[in-house]
Amino acid sequence: MREKAYWVSEINRYIKHIFDSDFALGRIYIKGEVSNCKYHSSGHIYFTLKDNQSQLSCIMFASNRSGLAFELQEGQSIVVFGNITTYEKEGKYQLYAKEIKLDGAGVLFEKYMQLKKDLEEEGLFASEYKQPIPTFSKKIGIVTAITGAAIHDIQSIATRRNPYIQLYLYPAQVQGQGAAETIVRGIQVLDQMDMDVIIVGRGGGSIEDLWAFNEEMVARAIFECCTPIISAVGHETDVTIADFVADLRAPTPSAAAELAVADIREVMLQLKEYEKALLEKMTGKIQNYRNRLENRKLRLEHANPITQLQQKRQYLLGLEEKLENSMNNKLKQEKYRLAIFSERLEGLSPLRKLQQGYAYLTDAKQNAIKSIKNVKEKETIIVSVIDGDIIANVENTIDRTRK
Amino acid sequence: MAGKSKTLEDSFAALEQILEKLETEEVSLEDSFKLYQDGMKLIKKCNQSIDKVEKELVVISEE
Repeated sequence: MREKAYWVSEINRYIKHIFDSDFALGRIYIKGEVSNCKYHSSGHIYFTLKDNQSQLSCIMFASNRSGLAFELQEGQSIVVFGNITTYEKEGKYQLYAKEIKLDGAGVLFEKYMQLKKDLEEEGLFASEYKQPIPTFSKKIGIVTAITGAAIHDIQSIATRRNPYIQLYLYPAQVQGQGAAETIVRGIQVLDQMDMDVIIVGRGGGSIEDLWAFNEEMVARAIFECCTPIISAVGHETDVTIADFVADLRAPTPSAAAELAVADIREVMLQLKEYEKALLEKMTGKIQNYRNRLENRKLRLEHANPITQLQQKRQYLLGLEEKLENSMNNKLKQEKYRLAIFSERLEGLSPLRKLQQGYAYLTDAKQNAIKSIKNVKEKETIIVSVIDGDIIANVENTIDRTRK
Repeated sequence: MAGKSKTLEDSFAALEQILEKLETEEVSLEDSFKLYQDGMKLIKKCNQSIDKVEKELVVISEE
């Protein structure tokens, strides 16, 4: 029995039905590298997507062109969203693209690393080219989008810290096609305008959104700019090439404003402190000279002959007084001694003896009779008692030994 | 911005120097007065150089 044969169109229709009913093929993301890219006059784009082993025909119809934001070029790594089905007429299957994106994570990162390496080797990041950021800026240039959080943040923080500062905004396009060019232009224009410092940046976003700040032309414009530049791209964790080339990297636009604008209250306070310090130092200096003068005056007065004379006189008076005092003391002492002597003397007085009943004998010639040998019988003697003398004659003498 | 008038940075640095000199013993009283007057003049200048007028954002438009 002979098997049934099918027409080509029949089998192609059948295969197309299988493709179309497949769930996975209906909504699929495919990544690969662009080759054989042709923009057709009809607006359709034909290209081949390939990796290192295989390839796949792709088409993007003019009606889906809104899904492509950049110019498709040979060698680009892209991610294509669409469906895979067959073209019955040619019996070929292909990818019908609805959206095409650059494969950021891959190619962009590689590009970033390569550019970073090249520029670093060239010396664009070297610290010796970094210009200091002035502490007290008066004119600050800003390159960022006129709409967006960055300019708003910078403005509010700058105004809060110092409302007297003049901010100049160069409204740049910070993402998408042509962004890098406007950023470069902004840097160049502001560099000509005699700014004290320029802030270049934008708020947070995806790596693609921030891509302009990884472009070589932006890096070079920052490097060549004579005005110090603070970069402020995205959030703390986003580090772009611009950040490496800039004279100072701020983690966010708000932080950039804080770095660029000195707090006016602190400036005023500092000035006040200088004034106070100057006055204190000067007063101290004068006081010091006054003290030295006083010191010399004292020394001079001391050396004055009149002073010397007075001092000597004073000394003399002192001596005189001392002399008088010691003389008086001496006199007092002697008087006292005399009193003691007289007391003692009184104890020895013969009158006291007479009072006690003793008598004192003398001969007529007033010689004291102390022994029987001093008298002869019948001789007249005088016996002196307390209230007078007794005239007597010696009767006899008797020798007696007294102990 | 180089050249032109003294910036606040320069003035502050000059003030620091003046204060340092005033602190040293060797400076004569006459020189001290001179330094003091220079310092006060600088402070006045700094105060004047702070243009205390609130400013609006200037948006640059080309072409």
